[in-house]
Amino acid sequence: MGILKSWRHPAGWAIFRLDDRLFLIFVAAIVGICSGIAAVVLNRSLVAIFEWIGQFRHYWWSFVLPAIGAALSSLFLEKIVKEGAGHGVPEVIYSVSRYGGLLRLRSSFSRLISSCLTIGSGGSAGPEAPVVMSGASIGSNIAKFFSLNDRQRVTLVGCGAAGAISSIFNAPIAGMVFAIEVIIGEWKAINIVPIAIASVAGTEVSRMLQGNRIAFSHRQFNIDLIDIFACLGLAVVAAAASILLTRTLRFMSGISSRFSSPLWLRAAAGGCVVGIIGIFLPIVLGEGYHPVKTMIEGNFSQGLAIVALAALAKIVATSMTLGWGGSGGIFAPCLVIGSLTGLAYHRGLVLLWPSVSWVNEGCFALLGMAGLVSGILQAPLTGIFLIVEITGGYNVILPLIVVSSISTSLCHYVEPASFYLKDLVEHGQLLRPGTDARVLADLSVFELLEKDCITVKQNMLLRDFINIVKNSHRNYFPVEDEKTGYFLGMIHLDDIRPYLFNSGMYDVVFLGQIMNTEVEVVNPDDELSEILRKMDANHLFSMPVVSNNKFAGMISKATLLDQYRKELMVQTCD
Amino acid sequence: MNLTINEVAKCLNLPLSTLERWIRQGRIPIYKNDKGCVFKKSALEKWAVTHNLSFSFPKEGVERQSNSEMENLLPAIKRGGILYDVMGDDVKTALRSAVENIPFLPEDKKDELYETLIERENLTSTGIGKGIAIPHPRAPLSNVIENSAIITCFLEKPVNFGAVDDKPVFVMFILLSTSTKIHLHLLSRLAFCMRDNSFVEFLKTSPCAEAFFAKIADFEKQLDKAKT
Amino acid sequence: MEARLFHIFRNTPLGRETLLQSIYFCKKIKASPVIYIPKFTKFLMYFDNDVAQIDLDDSYLTLPDTALRHATELVEQAELKPSFIKPKHYTASTLPDIPTNFDFMCCPRSISDMSSKIGLGYIGPRVRRIVKSAGFPVLIAGPIYKKWRSIAVFFGGSANALNALKLGIRISRESGIPLEVFTQLEKKSEKHYKKIVKDENLEEEIERHVNKWHFFEKGRFEDNLYEVPHDALVILGAYGHGIIRDILFGSKMEKLQSTISNNLLIVGPKYAANT
Repeated sequence: MGILKSWRHPAGWAIFRLDDRLFLIFVAAIVGICSGIAAVVLNRSLVAIFEWIGQFRHYWWSFVLPAIGAALSSLFLEKIVKEGAGHGVPEVIYSVSRYGGLLRLRSSFSRLISSCLTIGSGGSAGPEAPVVMSGASIGSNIAKFFSLNDRQRVTLVGCGAAGAISSIFNAPIAGMVFAIEVIIGEWKAINIVPIAIASVAGTEVSRMLQGNRIAFSHRQFNIDLIDIFACLGLAVVAAAASILLTRTLRFMSGISSRFSSPLWLRAAAGGCVVGIIGIFLPIVLGEGYHPVKTMIEGNFSQGLAIVALAALAKIVATSMTLGWGGSGGIFAPCLVIGSLTGLAYHRGLVLLWPSVSWVNEGCFALLGMAGLVSGILQAPLTGIFLIVEITGGYNVILPLIVVSSISTSLCHYVEPASFYLKDLVEHGQLLRPGTDARVLADLSVFELLEKDCITVKQNMLLRDFINIVKNSHRNYFPVEDEKTGYFLGMIHLDDIRPYLFNSGMYDVVFLGQIMNTEVEVVNPDDELSEILRKMDANHLFSMPVVSNNKFAGMISKATLLDQYRKELMVQTCD
Repeated sequence: MNLTINEVAKCLNLPLSTLERWIRQGRIPIYKNDKGCVFKKSALEKWAVTHNLSFSFPKEGVERQSNSEMENLLPAIKRGGILYDVMGDDVKTALRSAVENIPFLPEDKKDELYETLIERENLTSTGIGKGIAIPHPRAPLSNVIENSAIITCFLEKPVNFGAVDDKPVFVMFILLSTSTKIHLHLLSRLAFCMRDNSFVEFLKTSPCAEAFFAKIADFEKQLDKAKT
Repeated sequence: MEARLFHIFRNTPLGRETLLQSIYFCKKIKASPVIYIPKFTKFLMYFDNDVAQIDLDDSYLTLPDTALRHATELVEQAELKPSFIKPKHYTASTLPDIPTNFDFMCCPRSISDMSSKIGLGYIGPRVRRIVKSAGFPVLIAGPIYKKWRSIAVFFGGSANALNALKLGIRISRESGIPLEVFTQLEKKSEKHYKKIVKDENLEEEIERHVNKWHFFEKGRFEDNLYEVPHDALVILGAYGHGIIRDILFGSKMEKLQSTISNNLLIVGPKYAANT
C-alpha cells in the first residue's frame, strides 16, 4: 500500500524533492509523448478513412458522404460522450483561465473520434484543434493523477497542446509558441521550459512513427525587394479573407441556431452542402493538405478565376461544416484558404504587370497561409513559426514576418478578438494571468469579508445605540430583526449625526426609524467585478454582504485593495 | 521549523480561504506528504521577500493592552494629593502657590510647570464653570513626571478665573498626564463628575481626603457600569 | 454562515419526495437549501483537483414552466426561504458550471439513468462520481420521504469513518436527535475501536452525544443490519481500508447500500470534517 501511495506522489521522490520544476519537466515529457501519440493516431486514421471513402467518391450520391460523417460525429458528441459541439480550444482556454486547467477525461478522445468522422468523410475542417483539445486533456488528467496544483496543471495543459501541435505538423517551435501564445498567455520560464520539453517529445514521437518529413517542402525562392512590397498587398488580401471567413462562420452558426431541428440533422444538412460543392470543386473536401502541397510546389494549374472561386468555396464549405455542427478545427482550412488566396493574388499580379519577374507562385501561396493563420488566430508568432517549420522555408522569413504582422493588426482592427477567444471575450471569460479580470475572478467575497461589524436590533433605542457607537471602530451598523435575524437595513454614523447632540431624542427614537432600508447589498456568490461596478455606480466605498437574508459582513474597497495588491504580487512575480 | 496553516495565515495577515486557494493554485511554496501540507518557515520567509509580502508573527495587540490598562481617575487623584487653602488673589498667584506646594515635584521642574500652565491659561481659561478649573499643560509632561497625576487644590478664597460662566473658581484640579491619550481619558472622566451638581456642592465643603476619594470611587463605578 | 445544501430539482413526484427529504434535513440541522432547476441535461462541477460532468436523466427537464413554482411551494410550506442557483459561467454553450462550495448535497440513488433503475444495491455512476470527488457529504435520499428519529453512524476505524463519526456528532448536536454507533467487529476487539476514538480526542463528545455503541461480534454484516432502526439516518464513509478506490465504494458501503433502504449520508474521501 505504501508503494501504491508513493507512486502517485512522485513529487515526494528523493530526486524531485530538490526542485519541483524538475518534476514538472519529467511529467511534461510524458505528456508530450502521450499527446504526440494521439496526434499521430488521428493523422493516420484520417488518412485511412479519407482513402477508404475516396473509392466511393465517383458515385453520384457521394455528396451525402460528408452529411453522414457530420451527422455521425454530431450524434457521437451529443449522445455518447455528451459533449457540446465546437472545436474545443475555447474550452481549454476557459478552463485554464478559470479552473486551473481542469478538463474532463472524456475530452481526451471524444474530439479525436468526432473530427475523424467529420473530416474523413469529406467535411471541410482541420484536425489540429481536436488534437489540441485531446493533448490538453491528457495533460490535465495526468496532472490530476499526480495531484499537482493548478499552476503546474496549467503548464501541463500547455504541454499537451504543444506536444499535439508539434507532433501533427512536425513543428516543435510552432507547438511551443502556440501553447504559450494562445493557450496560456503568459511568457515565463516556469511555463516555457516544460512546454519546450513536451514539444521536443511530441515531435520526436511523430518522427519515430511517421518519419522526419517536412509537410510542405518546396524549392528555393529568390525573393527580391519588389516581392516584399507586393507582400503588403497580399497581407491586406489575406486579412480580408480571414475576416470574411470569421464573418461567414458566425453567420452560418447564427443561421443554424435558428432551426429547431436536432443538431445531427443540421450537421447533416451542412455536410450535404459541402458534398455538393465538393462535386464541382473537390479541393474543398477534407483537411486539404494535398492541394496545399501542389500549390506550394507551384504545380497548381488552374487559372485565376477558378482559384479565386475555390478560395471562396472553401470559405463557404468550412463555415457550413463548422457552423452547422460538424466537429473540427479551423487551422487546416486556414492553410488551404491562405494558399488559394496567395495564389490568386499572384495570378492577379501577373495579370496586371506581366513584365515584372515575380518570385515563384508557391512562395505567395506560402505567404498567404501565414497571413491567414495569423489573421484568424491573431497570434503572429504562431503563424510565422508554423509556416517556417512546415515549409522548411527559412529563406522566406522576411516577407513572412511582414505578412503575418500586417495581417494580424488589420484583423485585430476589424475583429478585436481572435477566432479562438471571441466567445470568451464576449462573455468576459478571458482571464489572462496577471490581469485585473483574473485577479478579481480569483478573489472571492468570502476572502474579503470584514466581520468586525456590530449588528444592532431594530427595536433598540438610540441611547443604547450611542453607547455601542462609543465602543465600535466602524462607521456602519447593520440592523437585524429580533426574531428572525433577517437583515433589515444599515445605519451609517452620518444617519444619527443630527440626533447625536440632542439627548431628548435618545429615548424616543428606535433604530428601525433611522435605518436606511434601501441599501445596495451584495450576495456572497456575486462576482467581484459585478460588485465593484455596483459600488462605482452608487459611489459607495463599502457594501453589506447578505447571505440568505442574513447579514454576513461588510465588503469594502480598502480591504479589497489590500487583498488585490497581495494577489497581484503573488500572481505576477516569480 | 514547520508551521500550521493557521499560523501561516496569521503571519501573512490573510484569510484562511485565500491561503487555501493559494495552496491549490500553487502560488505558495509547500511540501506535500501523506498527511497533507507542510509549511517550512524558512522557505516561506524567502518566498515572502521575493514577493514583497510581509511575513511576521503578529504581535499580541500592543495597542489594545495599553488601552485596557489605562488608568482611572482615582489612582491619579490619590497620587496627586489634595492641597487645602491654596493662597492667591488671581490666576497667576493661585497657580504659583499651588505648584509650589506640589510635594512630589522636584524644585527645578516647578518653574517649568508653572510656565506651561500659564501659557495654556493665556490661550483660553481652563475654568469650566460652576467654580471649577482644570489647569493643565498643553503638551504632555512625560519628561517631568513618571505617572499621571491630578492635584486637587481647594482655594482659600474664590478667584476670578475668566471662566465660561464668569463664576469665581473655588477648586482647581491640576491635571498632569504622560500622554495626550491619558489626558483626554482623565479629562473626560473628570468632566463627568463635574456635571453632577451635588458633587459641586460637596466640593464647596472642602471635604476631607477619605470622603473625597470615596465619592470619586462612586462616580468611577457609575462610569464603568455605563460602559459595559 | 449557515450550512447550505445543494439540491437538483426534478419536477416529478419522485423529485418531490427527494426535495421533501432535503427540506427535512435542512430544517433539522438549520441549513438552507439551494436548488438548481436544470435547463440542460448536463453540467460540470469543478472540484479542487477534479472536474466531473454530471449527465442528468431526461426527466429532470420535465415541465420547466411549473418547476420553479413547485419547488418554491414545497420550500415555503416548510417556512424556509427558497434560493435558486442560476449558473453564471458556461464551459460550453450548453454546459453550465455549478459551484461546489456547498456543505451538503442531496440526490436520489441515481441521477443519470432512468429512475426505474433506482432500487437497493444500485447507486448510479454520477452519484458515485460526486461522492468520490466532492468536498461535501452526499445525502442519498430514499424513494419515499421519511422523517428520521435517530442517527446511525457506521464506524469501521478508518480515517473516512472517523469523518463520518464527526459528522454524525455534529448532526446530532445540531438537530438534537439521538446518535447510535454501529461497528462490525472483525478480528479486532472493542478496545481497538475505542482507542482510535480516544486518539482523536473524541471520547468526551461520544460520551455526550452517543446513546449506544453497538458492536456486532457474530454473524454477517448484512444480517446484522436488521438492528439498525428503520427510521434512522445512516451515516458512513464511502471507503474503508481498501486500496482500490475507483469504480466501487468500500465493501461495507456496497453491502450496506444493497441491504438498507434508509436515507444515507455518505462521506467521501475528500470531505474534511470540522467539528
